[in-house]
Amino acid sequence: MLDQLNAEQERFLAALPEIADEDALYQLQVTYIGKKGSITGLSKKLGKLTVDERKAFGAELNRVKKAVQAALDGRREELREAARARDLARVEDLTMPAKRPPRGSLHPIRIAQRALIDTFRRMGFDVAEGPHVEHANFNFDALNFQPDHPARDMQDTFVVDDRRGSEDLVLRTHTSPVQIRTMLGRTPPVRIIAPGTVFRCDDDATHSPMFHQIEGLYVDRGVTMADLKATMIQFTAAFFGRSLDIRLRPSYFPFVEPGAELDMQCPFCERAQGGTCSVCKGTGWIELGGSGMVHPAVLESVGVDPEVYTGWAFGFGIDRMAMLMYQIPDLRQMFDGDVRFLRSFSN
Amino acid sequence: MRISCQWLSSLVELPNGASLDPSLVASVLTGVGLEVDAIEPTGAGVESILVGEIRKKEPHPEADRLTLVELFDGETIQSVVCGASNLPEVGGKVAFAPVGARLPGGMEIAPRKVRGAPSTGMICSEEELEIGGDGDGILVLPESWEAGRRLVDLVPEICDTILEIGVTPNRPDALGHVGVARDVAVKLDGRLTLPELGAADVPVSEELVSLEAGDRCGRYLGFVLGGVKVGKSPLWLRVRLHRLGLRAINNCVDITNYVLFEQGQPLHAFDRERLAEGRVVIRRATEGEPFAALDGSEHELGGEDLVIADAAIPQALAGVMGGARSMVDAESEEILLEAAWFAPSGVRASAGRRSIHSDSSYRFERGVDFGEGLDRAALRALKLFETLAGATCTAKAEALGELPRPPSIDLRLSRVHHVLGMPVGAREAERILRGLGVVVKSDGPIGSLHCTAPSHRPDIHREVDLIEELMRFHGLEDLPAEASVPSAPIVETVDPRATVRERLADALCEAGLHEHLAYSFTHPDKLRPFLGEGEAGRIVALSNPLRVPLSVMRTHLLPDLLDALEVNVARHPHAVRLFELGRVYAWAEERSGSAAPTFDPTRAAPVDQIDGLLPEEREQAAILLHGGDAEDGRSAVGVLVHALERLGYQVRVEAFAESKRIPYLHPGVQAAISIISGDTSACVGHVGELHPDIARERGLGDRAGIYVGVVELRALPALPVPVARERPRFPATSRDLSLEIPTVLPAAKVVDALITAAAGAAPDPSAGEDPAQLLGDGIAPGVEVVEDYRGRGVGEGRRALLLRLHYRAVGRTVTDGEIHKLHDVIVQGAIEALSGPELEVRIR
Ligand SMILES: [Zn+2]
Repeated sequence: MLDQLNAEQERFLAALPEIADEDALYQLQVTYIGKKGSITGLSKKLGKLTVDERKAFGAELNRVKKAVQAALDGRREELREAARARDLARVEDLTMPAKRPPRGSLHPIRIAQRALIDTFRRMGFDVAEGPHVEHANFNFDALNFQPDHPARDMQDTFVVDDRRGSEDLVLRTHTSPVQIRTMLGRTPPVRIIAPGTVFRCDDDATHSPMFHQIEGLYVDRGVTMADLKATMIQFTAAFFGRSLDIRLRPSYFPFVEPGAELDMQCPFCERAQGGTCSVCKGTGWIELGGSGMVHPAVLESVGVDPEVYTGWAFGFGIDRMAMLMYQIPDLRQMFDGDVRFLRSFSN
Repeated sequence: MRISCQWLSSLVELPNGASLDPSLVASVLTGVGLEVDAIEPTGAGVESILVGEIRKKEPHPEADRLTLVELFDGETIQSVVCGASNLPEVGGKVAFAPVGARLPGGMEIAPRKVRGAPSTGMICSEEELEIGGDGDGILVLPESWEAGRRLVDLVPEICDTILEIGVTPNRPDALGHVGVARDVAVKLDGRLTLPELGAADVPVSEELVSLEAGDRCGRYLGFVLGGVKVGKSPLWLRVRLHRLGLRAINNCVDITNYVLFEQGQPLHAFDRERLAEGRVVIRRATEGEPFAALDGSEHELGGEDLVIADAAIPQALAGVMGGARSMVDAESEEILLEAAWFAPSGVRASAGRRSIHSDSSYRFERGVDFGEGLDRAALRALKLFETLAGATCTAKAEALGELPRPPSIDLRLSRVHHVLGMPVGAREAERILRGLGVVVKSDGPIGSLHCTAPSHRPDIHREVDLIEELMRFHGLEDLPAEASVPSAPIVETVDPRATVRERLADALCEAGLHEHLAYSFTHPDKLRPFLGEGEAGRIVALSNPLRVPLSVMRTHLLPDLLDALEVNVARHPHAVRLFELGRVYAWAEERSGSAAPTFDPTRAAPVDQIDGLLPEEREQAAILLHGGDAEDGRSAVGVLVHALERLGYQVRVEAFAESKRIPYLHPGVQAAISIISGDTSACVGHVGELHPDIARERGLGDRAGIYVGVVELRALPALPVPVARERPRFPATSRDLSLEIPTVLPAAKVVDALITAAAGAAPDPSAGEDPAQLLGDGIAPGVEVVEDYRGRGVGEGRRALLLRLHYRAVGRTVTDGEIHKLHDVIVQGAIEALSGPELEVRIR
């Protein structure tokens, strides 16, 4: 019996150094001292021994089991140590190209438009929209463009074929019909911006037949041209983060009277780092767009009494604003979908 | 319009005799709304050109076409070689560029030898001096000019500054120098000094002019000028016209052009001897009446065209262009000069119909002066005809038709303050308005000015127009920036549609796609493969497209994304992941001819009703994925599902029934995207591989795997508000299931069948104990598709689907035993439901 026990222990001790990982070590443990292990199994033979023999053998069996357990624990410790050392010796080069999720981007026009909308929203403007295919009546007549006046030539208009040969429907040439739509639907005070796509029959290096405008309209009692100036100063300060001067120059748009070109002090001059600013050509001013006091005829066309209410309107181009802000050199780049251009806007 | 600063200065007298320099003029003009687009100094280099006198001419011994000239430059005799054939005789005067002169074109004059003959200087042509368009010969000067004088001293018009100004369509008066000068004078508090006029103290001869269309012609003045000597205009006049961009023709034509640019009033000179009976009739053309214009074009006129006819045939298209027959030429001796006011809309329509756009029609259609200015222009021309063409006025006539009535307007000074937000004093207002020609009387109500608009300002109709004038001249420099106080709180609203759109754009961007923005119009051929039944008849086309590729409004976004794909693959090898979010357009119903409703432009009609006549504009989002590491159909599905879930929607991807398949997608690689809200599920879009035929047609046939998807924004329900889910407190237990199914059976159907079977197999909850159910844990669904295996061990046309079913009870841990039973029931139920005659489904 004792010999058998010693033999098992010898066998165990011989096998132990061959063990290379914890799984094998566990198997070895099961083989010798597990429930059905060969050493554990010897205890079943205790019954065949005398009381004294049983006592002596039992003590010996316990000693061997403990020794085996201790050897196993020792070996486990060694294996863990070795594994840890191997793990620590591992090298992974994290300077290799990163594996990253694909990066998307929003179109610069959307980015600019959102920035404009956010700014005007904070200034208490509602956002209104309108259809792209518009009644000529809303696009022109209601805006005080007389039917056969050359002012209609100011905007090269795409006429929509309504298959009746009429010219009643057009692609809107400006966002101004939204003024009419909005005022038909409510009574002043009206304070809206109308961003959106507009179309003109024009295509060259600096004009695209489709572009984007943002229209502003404020109609209330006692609204003045001075208020327009104040609002534009507030806007540019909020939008560009610093105070910029605003300049109004008399001009003509049929739906406003008096009408004015709206210039702002150039916020980009510092990019030129002392040289001549290419944005404003060194003049210090940038043309934002057109503006003016809503023509009384426009108010009348939507049933608003111009003796009671006055208002102003402005409109400027989003595309050009985006080109200036994001330093886009060429208008056409914005519309051909080249991802190498678009990914500039993934921040 | 081009404005000569010199000419302008001669028309304005400034206080204290101050002079007008070009930069002052430019800033004044821009300040009053006549925006200066360009400032162009002229005549540089011409200062050194002298009058030279021909003293001797002899042929060049070596070259037939060259002449050796001995020329007196005021001090010495110079030898010059000249190649011109129009050299004057000895004693004649020419423009001489001495050695050292630098011509406007940049050429520097140096002593040189021409075919062996020395030449010290050059005899110049108009063209070389850039003072005229004639380059055929040298410029011959009047013999009376003294040799050695500087040319610019004799013709100061050479050194001028030309301003290019933008004249808005409301300002016909600014289409002549006098009108522009009037603005400058008012702005600088100066005085308008009008040029010298002629007189027409001659008998009226009634029969000269008969007006038969008084509704289209408000005034017609005719003057007979006799003894006309047609010839070349003097150099100063030719130079001035050249500076304004006009070609000098002969003195008669040049005078009418000169007056046009001075007074803004178009005039026309007829060769009277070629007018039948020597008289004119202003009448409508008869239908089909032929007319040959002086530009050589031939027209067949209609009944709405107004003509100036003689006793027989049309000799001019009124206000648009004269006729070739009665054009003044070198033989003309007697002319009939016309100064008229034609109704603007008539001229505009006529010019449009005949596609003739002239300097005259440009002015008439904007509205020229029908009053004092018209007489002034005529008398100015008489003066010039007298001095430059030796003509005398022998008879005149005037016919009157319907004229606009200059409006009389009460201008309230309080209203000025009310509109502008700054006051303009009564005296200042009066000064400005009077300076502009407005007749101002202060006999109206207190605090207001009673004004009558001048006949040269057809844009002034009402009070606000006068306020604009005050703004223009008082200036906007002092306009305060003063916000007004809103009369009522303004409530902002947020359009839920816009929120969905913007959030979807963000989500698609987050999914790694770049946003593309294409034109709303496209080529009809590019739409064709995408059109469904009846869609072709609903396309919205443009009547006047720029070109065919931009001629119809898009009905789908995908053609534009394919354009972008083409652009990208042609330029670089990178993956293309794009989306566009925009509108598509279609008539609500198929349009055929006259069935469409007519537009009633009554302002009273509600907007909704009026908008029923417009095409539908729907917002769509479309995606396109191609190339890159892991682009397959499921990546495209993943993008859309991810984006829609990001908006809070519960998304389902299901196979299309065969009849509902999207024709432009690969028949075997497509799926519907639906959104579940409550008990209902609505299809909002589709996704799949672009049909290989379309890829091939687009020249992208060698590119496998172009994945696309579309979401219809109006189909999306309102953005759901997130609801916190209860966390399961007890663990779920899962069972795997491997089913062998036909390849064509979509995984989504298998999942549905299992869920349906589970609902049927659920133990009765009234039994008291919380029963085990097939339930997800809120992160993983109740049924998870783990793997799709095809190949070894699975038959042809079949696949093995490994699924994991998650079981859970709400209030306790589920036991193995109950799950075992439930699982078997569910699996058997699902297999029965899925199996069919052609569909064998079995456990593997
Ligand atoms: Zn600048």
